[in-house]
Amino acid sequence: MARFEYSKAAPPRESSVTTGTGVTTLDLKTVARAIPCQEACPAKTNVPAYIEAIARGAHDEAYRINQQDNVFPGVLGRICTRVCEDACRHKWTNVEGPVQICHLKRYAADNIREKQSALPPWFDSSGKRVVVVGAGPAGLSAARELARMGHAVTVVERAPVAGGMLVDGIPAFRLPRDIIAAEISLIEQGGVTIETGRHVSAGDVADFCDNYDAVLIAAGTTVTNQISIPGAQGRMVSGLDFMRDYNRGELTAVNGNVVVVGGGFTAVDCSRAARRIGEPGAKVTIAYRRTEASMAADKNEFKAMAEEEIDIRTLLTPLRFETDETGAGHLVLQRNMVADGTLGAKAVIAPIEGREVRIPCDTIITAIGQKRDASLLTFGVDSEVDGRTSKPGLFVSGDFKGGSADVVSAVASGKDVARLIDEYLMGKRRLMRGVRYVDTDCDGETGRYRDHDIQWPLPMPMADVAARYRDNAEVEIGFTQLIAQNAATRCYLCHYKFEIDQDKCIHCNWCIEAAPRDCIKKAAKIFYDDDGFPVKVFEAERNQDATFIYIDNDNCIRCGKCLRVCPTEAIKMRKLETDDCVKCGE
Amino acid sequence: MPKKLTFQRRSEDEDIKASGMYLDLDELGKKGAMSAADASIAKWYGIYKSRQPGNHMARIVIPGGVVTSEQAKNIATVAERYGQGIVNVTTRQALQFHWLKVSNLSDVLRDLDEYGNSTKHGCGDVTRNVTACPLAETCPSRRLNARKWAQKTSEVLGAARDLDDLPRKFKINYSGCSADCAQPHINCVGLSGVIHNGKPGFKVVIGGGMGWKAFVAQPLFGFIPEDSAVDVCRAVAILFREHGDRFNRAKSRLKFVVHRKGIDFCREVVLENLKAEGKSQDGFVVESVLDEGAPFDERPLLDDTPLGTDGLHTVRIIVPKGELPFGRFYELAKLAEQYGDQRLYTTNRQNLEIHGVAPHDVAELSAAINKAGYLTSGSFTLRDIVTCVGTTYCPKAVTETRVLFDKIHRLVSSDRYAGILSSGIINITGCPNSCSPYRIADIGFRGMRIREEEGSVEGYEVLLGGSQTSFGQKLGDFKLIDCEAVVSLVLDEFLRVRKDDEFLTQCVRRVGIEHFKGVVYGEV
Repeated sequence: MARFEYSKAAPPRESSVTTGTGVTTLDLKTVARAIPCQEACPAKTNVPAYIEAIARGAHDEAYRINQQDNVFPGVLGRICTRVCEDACRHKWTNVEGPVQICHLKRYAADNIREKQSALPPWFDSSGKRVVVVGAGPAGLSAARELARMGHAVTVVERAPVAGGMLVDGIPAFRLPRDIIAAEISLIEQGGVTIETGRHVSAGDVADFCDNYDAVLIAAGTTVTNQISIPGAQGRMVSGLDFMRDYNRGELTAVNGNVVVVGGGFTAVDCSRAARRIGEPGAKVTIAYRRTEASMAADKNEFKAMAEEEIDIRTLLTPLRFETDETGAGHLVLQRNMVADGTLGAKAVIAPIEGREVRIPCDTIITAIGQKRDASLLTFGVDSEVDGRTSKPGLFVSGDFKGGSADVVSAVASGKDVARLIDEYLMGKRRLMRGVRYVDTDCDGETGRYRDHDIQWPLPMPMADVAARYRDNAEVEIGFTQLIAQNAATRCYLCHYKFEIDQDKCIHCNWCIEAAPRDCIKKAAKIFYDDDGFPVKVFEAERNQDATFIYIDNDNCIRCGKCLRVCPTEAIKMRKLETDDCVKCGE
Repeated sequence: MPKKLTFQRRSEDEDIKASGMYLDLDELGKKGAMSAADASIAKWYGIYKSRQPGNHMARIVIPGGVVTSEQAKNIATVAERYGQGIVNVTTRQALQFHWLKVSNLSDVLRDLDEYGNSTKHGCGDVTRNVTACPLAETCPSRRLNARKWAQKTSEVLGAARDLDDLPRKFKINYSGCSADCAQPHINCVGLSGVIHNGKPGFKVVIGGGMGWKAFVAQPLFGFIPEDSAVDVCRAVAILFREHGDRFNRAKSRLKFVVHRKGIDFCREVVLENLKAEGKSQDGFVVESVLDEGAPFDERPLLDDTPLGTDGLHTVRIIVPKGELPFGRFYELAKLAEQYGDQRLYTTNRQNLEIHGVAPHDVAELSAAINKAGYLTSGSFTLRDIVTCVGTTYCPKAVTETRVLFDKIHRLVSSDRYAGILSSGIINITGCPNSCSPYRIADIGFRGMRIREEEGSVEGYEVLLGGSQTSFGQKLGDFKLIDCEAVVSLVLDEFLRVRKDDEFLTQCVRRVGIEHFKGVVYGEV
């Protein structure tokens, strides 16, 4: 070593490349920690990127980002289960709750200015033919991805309209039909053929296997779980059938007081549908054996149900049906209790012997889960692993693969299986998930400042109860521009990452002084895992113990003050974008 | 209620300024503490927070760099009473106290005011102390008396309430000739005396500056008549007020305006501003003009006892680190009364001068100054090191510059370098703000911390071969313990390769920075 050349601690490296696309585990870990909402999203939607677009007023761009990642922006903007919001950094760093990501997605979808078009294909036509059984969210997502990969895709659907549970399960007052139709039409524009009204049997599947290069079964879960309630014969209807008939307009009335047994998505939808077609003044009750924390409804839906006078009774298991001397029916239920020390979704439930509850009841809707029609695989499929089956060329995805779940999981499952199918068809992985790092040259100006962090979120406007019952009107009206701006500016824009070039840093600590909160730290030592990913930082109190000045991205609010105050231009802001890297797969 | 959305994004300092720029220092004194907003506004009163919590610095504005002996004595007294007895000379010819307590601030200002000393506009986003070359009145190479115009400018711009809220500080200086002793190229506005068509006037450059991002000033006018100097300064100030960045304080100085908008745009605006206020533009020349004055020395400040055109001498007082105990400062004020023109002059080398000394008194005065503990020789030499206060007082500083001062001062004072003492200057600054303009020195140091395997140590970025118009080139980053050895290697090599009487900067430019790097890093 030459004179005056000093040995220094190696600077922390959180990406495999400075600019361009990185595909190493380190890159994926970095983006996963940096953008928790995207990591939480099953479909890996680039949430901050589209929220930033909304904050700018670029709704079309926001829609496009969503379309890319989760296929059905308008649909998911209404009915998504929002695991992203649970992961939002506002949940750890503030008290006002997460950014209203889902509502913002809908706002962008509702406010697009130009007619949207299908996404461009990644590859030229491959000459391969794929058939997808089931035009639900999983099947359609897989079909769209396969079409973008250059394959000829046909989707066959038993129902008269494509959409699967989107149209047969979810009621129009939560998800208007034109929204579904428009987004399915975008998939068709991308080259996917959908054949509706075609029933598929196990024999058909065997034929498909012979005649197509690949077959995907995404037929969902269509077989309902049954329970028997003594005395209730003739009064029971399965939730799945009830919702399908209601959604198709074939069911326009329901008899007397209704009790919905169950606490999942279907149970909630059934109760609200029953309220809309039920007799005026009739009682609608949800009876669920666990607690509200285990129910599929979100806060807004609970509020809507309360307004619609739906009684939610929890910790109850149905025992029998009784008719009293006046002829009025009652459902008798067993009381349950929560074991001490257990809470929420993990609560342990046990019956309290001898304690019963009677609820007035004329109709019982059972919505206690559903399973797939396994007969479709009765021709020599022994096992399934991650969407592949033991029969080459036959794949499964969505609810059919993993049991009934939410729409965004189905979309994710469809996207994932499309890659497996493509790999099977082409003999190699052609798309690689990577992280694109984009240098920014905007002086750290993200448009955010400290006030945005503590801004209060505004609630989603809801239709008046009376108005909801007319024409099956949508209950959630949608954000106004003001509410959307308020929500969008709260987003921390986690896809921007501020980093200090340790070789330029002179430890002047000016950034630490300019920092709006405890987001820049003196680090004595940084520990890394085997991928070189920082996992632990020892903070230093004194300057002489500080080996690095380190930006804690978990607490960064992306205000850019540190970048602007840095006298040696050591701080850079990079934009992280997850990317389907076409080149890397080659 | 949800917070109202606002989409203006001016910097926080702008918000504070907008809420009122006046403080009741007596009330603050009773309270015993200043809020962050108070501290921002206190700058307009010339008061900064010190590194040590609860302590403050106050800067006395000295337009043109001259105080009467009486004012100097007053300053010494105030330092004794409130400032732990310390007076500091700054690189912009002002004087500073440190260690002031909030409860005393109002008394400090009142006591100073008694003799016409003021800290008003010592700091803050205003026209700062207007400086001038030290020998303004009597320098043989002067084209005009720069000090007169510096004082006039300070008076006019300081009284203009419409220039109280500039986007950032605004620095002006005046030199009597193009030797540019007042350092016009690193200030917002620099005016240097020239003679054109037989008439004295100024060449004007704007948009220079040190700081974290340094710029050399660009020529605004080749010549303006001297009577127009104040008008032009005001017109530039208005340009700055209207076009400076109020959103990003780090990029709000005039140098960024000039850089961003271009000098031609700035010139147009300045001319419009002059026109709008009905000021004369007669005799303005945009292009550079041939100076008709007599030739001058490249580094006139090297002369220890320069003889003025009035037949009297100037005696220089070298103030190490720019810091004096109040007693010695008082003593020097007395010497100025006895031997000089009853004034003390400050220089941008953080030194003092006594002017108007009769030739026969020079030796006696020098002896008296030596007796007071100061050298009278070595101005503008390697030993005349300018250092900022560093972590001794400054909250921004990264390094303790005075430690390096001691090391380097000891090194360059050795006999080995006696022959090259006058071949360069050394500036040491503790952070990128460059209060000691390290980029324009023959050897410049800028404080930093250097990362080690664990922890970090003080170090310096070292530049070689700087001048006002062409900044130094980077030699490397060195730990404090190595800086002495580095300077020694540089000076030894300079001794070896020096041609004739060239300055270090000229030598570095001639042989190239790579050569010196090779020597220092042991590759040659």
